[in-house]
Amino acid sequence: MSNDVAFLAEFSGGSPTHAALELAAGAADLAEGSKGAAVALAYGPGAADAGALGAAGASRVLVLGDEPSPAITHAAAAAAVVRDLNPLLLLAPATPNGRDLAAALVGLVALPAFGPVRAVRIEAGRVRTEQATLQGTVITVSEPTDDAGQPAIVLVLPSTFTPREGGSGAAKVEPAAASEAGPLGAARIVESHPAEAAVANLEEASVIVAGGRGVGSADGFAPLHELAAALGGAVGASRAAADAGWVPYQLQIGQTGKVVKPALYVGCGISGAIQHRVGMQTAENVLAINKDPDAPIGEFADLFVVGDLFTIVPKLTAEIRRRKGR
Amino acid sequence: MVCIKQVPATTAEKRYTADLRLDRAAAEAVINPLDEYAIEQALRLQESGAVESVGFLSMGPEQAAEALRRALAMGGDDATLVTDPVLAGADAWATARVLAAALDKLAPDVALMGMASDDARGSLVPGAVAALRGMPLLSYGSELRIEGSSARVRRLTADGFDIVEAPLPVVASVTDQVGEPRYASLKGIMAAKRKPMETWGLADIGLSPDELHGAALTRVVEARKPEAKSPTERVEDVSADEAVTRIADWLAARKLI
Repeated sequence: MSNDVAFLAEFSGGSPTHAALELAAGAADLAEGSKGAAVALAYGPGAADAGALGAAGASRVLVLGDEPSPAITHAAAAAAVVRDLNPLLLLAPATPNGRDLAAALVGLVALPAFGPVRAVRIEAGRVRTEQATLQGTVITVSEPTDDAGQPAIVLVLPSTFTPREGGSGAAKVEPAAASEAGPLGAARIVESHPAEAAVANLEEASVIVAGGRGVGSADGFAPLHELAAALGGAVGASRAAADAGWVPYQLQIGQTGKVVKPALYVGCGISGAIQHRVGMQTAENVLAINKDPDAPIGEFADLFVVGDLFTIVPKLTAEIRRRKGR
Repeated sequence: MVCIKQVPATTAEKRYTADLRLDRAAAEAVINPLDEYAIEQALRLQESGAVESVGFLSMGPEQAAEALRRALAMGGDDATLVTDPVLAGADAWATARVLAAALDKLAPDVALMGMASDDARGSLVPGAVAALRGMPLLSYGSELRIEGSSARVRRLTADGFDIVEAPLPVVASVTDQVGEPRYASLKGIMAAKRKPMETWGLADIGLSPDELHGAALTRVVEARKPEAKSPTERVEDVSADEAVTRIADWLAARKLI
């Protein structure tokens, strides 16, 4: 076993994803404590030129492949790296692609898996994770059993680590040893349909203004976009609003949507059903605006304003602009 | 073959034992809500003639048979429960080992699952099962289609969607976008009582307790209640202008503007 901390680094459109930069910072900090190296397993378009991960915290990058193929098609190559490197820990982002690749490694290498976690530590050479389970009703701390193999695979929630800014480290980039993709490599992307307008990445936003059923229509989201712009944030939605077709599904927060952890979450016309709550309950500050004084979000918001969002949101946008002096 | 898990109801009042483990006997148990979408998808495939039969598979305690009966009341043909006392507290790896072994025996063209379970939310089992069985994975489909000897899913990307395809047999997982799960009719509930259900132990799928390392490579060493949250501050029965001032002051006090 080595003391290295490895992490999955997905590339998209030529650059590392935000999740990859977060894990690079987390892996670097953990590797400093374990006296090992932060090693990236890079894949996706642009991964062949992954030197930028050095500034993000990695000291070594192994490139699994740079084709635009499903993440899981890199599983055999990743398994070979994991067996060879035998790191203490492998961090994976709790995104669909990160989970798929981590899951395949659990099956291929028989490794203890944790997560999605909100904290990971190494204590006396042992990995410990902290997770909110059962819709956040209990916090559990877990570790590998004594006879579990290495590494521990840990799914990490967005915003658990903060990317390094202005780092200057250099990473050694090398291709991973060639390996047969095997049956997992048989899944292929046969059609790709990018949307006309790029959708803001909610998982990166520090402010999110989310709309629900109470917004009433696609046009009803216009004042929310204005407020988000004034706050320097992004727009999100509940499943009801996505199902109604008012916003694309990529903006959905919740049980089957994105899990977000912004500094400020503003819920407009959102009742706060448990399915939505599991996606946003770790926001640092929660403001809710809803006409219904009995909406469940009133139970867990930090500030709950009972009123009409269509009156309040535009006035709030104007007031924020005024106070910011623009 | 649809893999389903019995979980505590999302909205159920959860009670914990003194050491903060969930009192599963006290919590209302349901089919994992995200697995109901997989059931719906499978039944639609059967109705369109794309697949011949639909079966259900679950690993869990004996009472998980209730979840299988409920699935059979929605439709489908038969069910299999893998149950063994040593499987209590199984983690993602052990669950995948057991399901993979049972699926090897059942040999379906498609092993279908919900995208995650409501209690653990790891989304690790579908991919681990695919790896263990040496099959391609089609994950997070908003729709699954079977065409000839291949399967394809529509899968969301950061801004649009991809169509991902693989030759049969496959392991697949679907999201809640496949369509609202149907309710079991009274007729369906009656019919479900006569549908075949098999119960298998570990030996039936060729696994030994030793191989499963006590059903987990992970263990919980501490469980506690979440940090207490400060109470909600409410603003109501004030003018819109007053509400806006209060919100802006609140944002400023927290250095958010």
